[in-house]
Amino acid sequence: MSLIKQLWIAIVMVTLLSLGGSLVVSTLAAKRYLEQQLNVKNVDNATALALSLSQLPKDPVTVELQVAAQFDAGHYRVIRLVGPDGKLLVERTAEPHLDDVPAWFVRLAAIEAHPGVAHVQDGWQQFATLTLESQTSYAYTELWHSIRQLLLWFAIMAAAAGVVGSLLLGRITAPLRKLVGQAQAIGERRFVTTPEPTTAELRVVVRAMNALSERVRLMLVDEARRLETLRKQTQEDGLTGLFERRQFLNVLGAQLVDHDAPTGGALLIARVGDLSELNRTRGREFVDTLLRALADAIRNQIGEQPTWIAGRLNGSDLAVLAPGVAYLPLWAEGLVKALHEVVEKHVMAGDDGGIALPIAAALYSPGEALPTVLTRTDTALAEAELAGGRAVQLDAWVRLTQPQRDQSQWHQIISRALDQHELRLETYPVRDANGTLVHVEAPLRLRLDGEWRGVAYFMQWAVRLDLMGRIDAAVVKAALELIRLSGHAVAVNISSQAIGNAGFLAGLLHQLEMAPNEAPLLWMEVPEQEAARNPAEFRTFCLALKPLACKVGLEHAGPNFNALGNLHDLGLDYLKVDASLLRDLEGNTGNQAFARSLCMLAHALGLTVIAEGVDQPEAVTLLSDVGFDAMTGPGIR
Amino acid sequence: MLGLAIGLCTAAPDLDHMQALAVTRYGASGGEAVAAWRRMISEAREVDEAGKLARVNTFFNRRIRFVDDIIIWKQSDYWATPLETLGRDAGDCEDFAIAKYMSLRLLEVPADKLRLVYVRARIGAAGSTITQAHMVLSYFETPTAEPLVLDNLIGEIRPAGRRPDLFPVFSFNNEGLWVGGGTTSSADPTTRLSRWRDVLERMRSEGLQ
Repeated sequence: MSLIKQLWIAIVMVTLLSLGGSLVVSTLAAKRYLEQQLNVKNVDNATALALSLSQLPKDPVTVELQVAAQFDAGHYRVIRLVGPDGKLLVERTAEPHLDDVPAWFVRLAAIEAHPGVAHVQDGWQQFATLTLESQTSYAYTELWHSIRQLLLWFAIMAAAAGVVGSLLLGRITAPLRKLVGQAQAIGERRFVTTPEPTTAELRVVVRAMNALSERVRLMLVDEARRLETLRKQTQEDGLTGLFERRQFLNVLGAQLVDHDAPTGGALLIARVGDLSELNRTRGREFVDTLLRALADAIRNQIGEQPTWIAGRLNGSDLAVLAPGVAYLPLWAEGLVKALHEVVEKHVMAGDDGGIALPIAAALYSPGEALPTVLTRTDTALAEAELAGGRAVQLDAWVRLTQPQRDQSQWHQIISRALDQHELRLETYPVRDANGTLVHVEAPLRLRLDGEWRGVAYFMQWAVRLDLMGRIDAAVVKAALELIRLSGHAVAVNISSQAIGNAGFLAGLLHQLEMAPNEAPLLWMEVPEQEAARNPAEFRTFCLALKPLACKVGLEHAGPNFNALGNLHDLGLDYLKVDASLLRDLEGNTGNQAFARSLCMLAHALGLTVIAEGVDQPEAVTLLSDVGFDAMTGPGIR
Repeated sequence: MLGLAIGLCTAAPDLDHMQALAVTRYGASGGEAVAAWRRMISEAREVDEAGKLARVNTFFNRRIRFVDDIIIWKQSDYWATPLETLGRDAGDCEDFAIAKYMSLRLLEVPADKLRLVYVRARIGAAGSTITQAHMVLSYFETPTAEPLVLDNLIGEIRPAGRRPDLFPVFSFNNEGLWVGGGTTSSADPTTRLSRWRDVLERMRSEGLQ
């Protein structure tokens, strides 16, 4: 039984016992007092009457008059004179007046008073024995009224006790409810802390739970830090801080196979010419400084772009990858200018020819093989080197992938597609090590310009026009329908713009409440970078969805893990680790160590870990050894 | 319930207890007086009622000195129990009457034959006008008969007619009073309020029913 109910029962019982007990005790005391009074009255009145009768002449009339006078003027029930031979001389009786006292109460109370007995004498002779009883009805009335009044007072007292009791319970239950809330949150893997209550017993429990949550948080902070160190060690070039070759190529490779990726992008390689010569003439330190400066310039250029990365391919080559860039010359120009400025600064007077910096750039499109893209870029770079000095060679293949439109036109075609339900979900399976289907990834396709287009086609415009809320709501609706039809779980991407939109969240909650059977099978994922950049909105999103039993997770997770902050009290359900960390895992022990640590940390928090971008079915065994629960990618069908 | 049980247990008079109390309170002479009284009672059991009256009357009249209450008990009008009267070998008219009444009750003389009577007593010679409040014990052989008077002013038992010096005012006994074996009396705070009930209660506690 609930604690609150038990406390209430205790309060009610105590109140009833104490009040009921007082009522009974005071009634019995009152009854005893009234009986004593009646006894004393009977004896005294009998003695007085007998005394006065003894002094009077004993003719029958006088005797009767005396008795009658006493009886009529007093409060008597019976006055009786019985002669020494047992003969009744005079008797007066009266009926009791019990008008306002119920008969059952009279029977229950049963006030018994002893009759007063006294002797009347005529000179020395015995004349009669006098028996006298007073009226008891007033006693009953008194008792009845006092009980009624007591009951009224006790009802008031009980009501007051009820009010005080509920106030008291309120003060007890408020911290109790918070405690229960925290315990439930911890049960849902949200390791929250709450302020300690004043109640001693509850404080102990809350302190323990806070310690637990704090320990989890610290563990997470520690692990994330270690992961970051590990990542730096295995993925970063020590000198410049850019990605090292392997990782850079992994990211590029992942971009080429990702079905969610924007349509292509740009790759730029800049080479410091004659590095060994430079080492000899100018010294190692100079070269290091130059490389660092170039790397800084590149980082500045990349700036806030979330998907652009830079790497050091070898001792002399620095590379930049920019997914989503469609027009090469414009993009390359900015980078080239920045790099040339750096070189200018480092040229010493009197240097003939300066420092050579050939630069090459090329576009790539998804589906191309990695070697093809690299070859294209290398060829361009070779041509630039041949040209010498600061030559820049752009790969001639410039592609315009999208029709030129203005904002209102984009708004029109996207809205039309949404209104006419020209929307469908592609499905890609996510399977565990045994091949069992965990869920189905369902990226969105809208029919625009006559073809089904992925999100990358229109995403930047949708974001600019603030349409992502509507789009994601339509996606969720389609996903719930898919769940209803197919019966298995479906995962959809939710954008950070949608999360920050209050209308979207309210609509989403409503949709999920309307579909209670389908909601537990809906998995929603947000890109890790988006979650890291909008922590407050992401937190609100997670907490709002917790009660609805659907699953929330991160995709493309891993690279920004350290920046995630308070992961421990969100109650996430799963992580999808970015493909760039898992390519070529077999030979890459550094990445293996990183992936293993990440899986252990995720499992400690109770998260399911899924590997993205798995393109070879054979990799499944290795991945599940490392600790992954499920895999997805081109190799999983 | 407990009181009733105790009451039943002590229903029979406990004269040993009374004698022991006499020794404790009044010393050996008190104990001896109670012993003598007990001897008288046991001897008187054999005889008829008239004999009982005579023996009881004589015992107390010879043994007890008549003294006013104020001298013995340092308070006016104190009603002494038979134990107290025997212990001090002194008492006033109520003490005599009470002692004789209780002794006769012990000898199983029915209560409705006995009365304690408030009388106006004429002191001195036949023509004297000095009167004094007095109490005597009267005995009715039949309810309608002329009573016999047991008194300490005149040692012999005489019928009422032969006591012109006494004028009766009021008579009483312990009929109708709920004492002796009753459960209420000891718990009842009104017991101590009435001298008669008070002395009856004290007699009960001393072992005399």
